[in-house]
Amino acid sequence: MERINIVGIYDDPDVLVAAAKTLKEKDVRIKNIFSPFPIHELWDVLGLKTRLPLLTFIYGTVGLIVIYAFLYWTSVVNYPLKFGGKPLNSLSFIIIMFVGTIFVAVLFTFSTFFIRQKIGPGKNVVMIDPRTTDDKFAIVIEKSAEFTDEEVRRIKTILKETGAVEISEKIQPDHYIEEEND
Amino acid sequence: MYKAEVRGELINGNKNYGQITREVLRPFEADRPPKWWYIGLFIGLAMVIIGTWSVITLVSTGIGIWGLNNNVGWGWDIINFVWWIGIGHAGTAFSIFLLILRQRWRTSINRAAEAMTVFAVLCAGLFPMLHMGRVWDAFFILPYPNTRGPLWVNFNSPLFWDVVAISTYLMASGVFWYMGMIPDFASIRERATSKLRKNIYSILSFGWVGTARGWLRFETAAILLGGLTAPLVVSVHSIVSMDFATSVMPGWHTTIFPPYFVIGAIFSGFGMVMTLMIIVRKVFKYEDFITQGHLDAIARILTFISLIMGTAYMTELFIAWYGGTEYEMFTFMKNRITGDYTFAFWTMITCNAIIPQLFWFKKIRKNLTMVFIMSIIINIGMWFERYVIVVTSLSKDFLPSSWAAYHPTIYDKALFIGTLGIFLLGILFFFRFIPMMAISELKGILKETSIKKDKNHGKN
Repeated sequence: MERINIVGIYDDPDVLVAAAKTLKEKDVRIKNIFSPFPIHELWDVLGLKTRLPLLTFIYGTVGLIVIYAFLYWTSVVNYPLKFGGKPLNSLSFIIIMFVGTIFVAVLFTFSTFFIRQKIGPGKNVVMIDPRTTDDKFAIVIEKSAEFTDEEVRRIKTILKETGAVEISEKIQPDHYIEEEND
Repeated sequence: MYKAEVRGELINGNKNYGQITREVLRPFEADRPPKWWYIGLFIGLAMVIIGTWSVITLVSTGIGIWGLNNNVGWGWDIINFVWWIGIGHAGTAFSIFLLILRQRWRTSINRAAEAMTVFAVLCAGLFPMLHMGRVWDAFFILPYPNTRGPLWVNFNSPLFWDVVAISTYLMASGVFWYMGMIPDFASIRERATSKLRKNIYSILSFGWVGTARGWLRFETAAILLGGLTAPLVVSVHSIVSMDFATSVMPGWHTTIFPPYFVIGAIFSGFGMVMTLMIIVRKVFKYEDFITQGHLDAIARILTFISLIMGTAYMTELFIAWYGGTEYEMFTFMKNRITGDYTFAFWTMITCNAIIPQLFWFKKIRKNLTMVFIMSIIINIGMWFERYVIVVTSLSKDFLPSSWAAYHPTIYDKALFIGTLGIFLLGILFFFRFIPMMAISELKGILKETSIKKDKNHGKN
C-alpha cells in the first residue's frame, strides 16, 4: 500500500523548533524531522535519548578485561618468558591495556552507530526532499488511513501557522528511513 | 546542553545556509582543478618516485645504505618518524580537544587538520617498517599465534607499545575524520549532477539522510569518539618518547620526555595546521570561513606552546647540571650547546623558542606572510629538535672509543622526500575530492556566532 506523508518545509531552525513544539502540544504525531545540521533543542522537544554512551562504557570495560586476559595468558600461562627482570605479570601492561581499551571502544562505538542507524556503504536512499541536506528543514507527518479530511486540513493549518514555507503531500519513497521518534 | 561563550564572529559575510554549502563546495564542484593543482600533482609524483627508488634500493640492498653505523643505529628514519607523528598530532589535538572544550572556532579548520593527521601518520608508519630491514616480515610485530613457540611479542617493550599506539591512533583518527564527512557527502550526493559522482558519493555517504534521531546519535558518537581519542593524543607521543626515555642513553634517560614530546608534537602540528590553513584560505578564497580571528587564535596558542618548549629546553639543561651525572653534562654542554652539533641545537632553540615569540606582536600576527613563514620555521625547528635528540646522544655515548659521527646518505634524504611527496599528494587529493570544511558543522554555528544577526538571517 502506498504511504503518504504530509511534509512541511521550513527554512529556519528556530522556527522549526517552535513548530515542532506546537505540533507536539497539539498531539500531532511527528514521524521524522530532517535537517542539514544537528539542532539540539529539537532533541528536547521530541524527547529523544540515546544509550550510546552507556554502550561505549560497556565496550571499554569489556575490552579492558579481554586485553588484560590476553596479556596475562600469553605472558604468564602460554609462554612465560622473563624480559628485563620484570615480573611475568608486568605493571607495564597498563600501557597496552590503556591504548587497547581505546581501540576497542572506538571501533565498537563507530560500528554501533552504523548498525543502530541502519546505514552503511552502498545503502540507497531517496530523500523526502533533497534540499534538507542544504538549507531547508522538513517535518514529516504520516497521513494514516484513519485521517479525515478535516484532520489533514488541521495539520496543514498548524504547519502553515507555525511558519512552513511549503506544505505538500508526498508518496513515501521506497528507501525511506523510518524512525520512531517518540 | 552546555553552551560555550563564542569569541567574535566565526563566519563573515552575513551568509545563509545555502551560501555555505555552495561556497565550501565551489572549488570541489568545479569541472577541473586549477592549474597549480596539476603542478602540485606533478611535483608530488616526482617526489614519490624519488622515495620509491630509495625504498626499492633499500629493500633489495639492506639498511646499510642508510647513514647509520654501529653507534648511531637510529638516524633520519627515527627523526622523520617522530617528526611526522608530531605533525600528525595536530588533527586530533585540534579537532578533539577543541570539540571537548566546545571551542566553536574549530569548525572551519578541523577537517583539514584531521586530513593532515591521517596522511602524516601514514608517512610516519613507513619509517619503522622500513627500518626493520625485512619489511615483508613486518607482521612479526603483531601478537598472533605462531609456530615459534608460540613466542609472543615483548609486551614490555616501548617499540611494541609504539605499534599498538600508532595503529590505534591511525584507526581512531581515520574513523573520526570519516564520520565527520558523512553528512557532507550526503550534501554532495543530493547536489551531484553527474551520475558517476552521484553514485560514488551515495556509497561514501552511507545513505545518510539527517533525521533528528540520526543527528542525535551522530553528535553523541562524535563526542564519544573525541573523548576516547583525546587521551590518545597524550599517550601516543608519550609512548614515542618512551622509545628514548626507557633507555639509559645520556640525554634520553629523563622523566621530562613524555610531556616534552607531547607538547612538541602539538607545537609542530599546530604549525603545520597554520601553514595549511593559510594556503587553503588564500587559494580557495575561504577568507569568510577561515577568518583572521582563527589564525590569530592559532598564533596565540603557538606563542604559549613555544614558551613551554623554551622552558622544557631550559629544564633539560638545568637537570643535566643539577643531576650531577657527568655523561648527561657532557651530552648537553659539550655535544649540544657546543661541539659538533651546535648548529642543530641552536637552530632548534631559535626556531622553536625564540622566533615564535614574535607572535606577541599584533602586527606580526596580522601579517599573514610573516605568519606563514614562521609556521614553516616552526616545523624546521621541530625537525632539528628530533635531530638533536637522536643524533647527539647516540654519536657520543659513554666510551670515547666508540664515538662515531653521523652523516645521512642520499637514500635517507630520498626517502624523506618521498614521504613529503606522499603527504603532498594526500593533501592535493583532499583538496579535490573531499569538502575542505565540515559544512554541517559550519551551519550549526552560523546562527550563534554571527554578531550581525538580523531577522532575515538564514533566509534567502
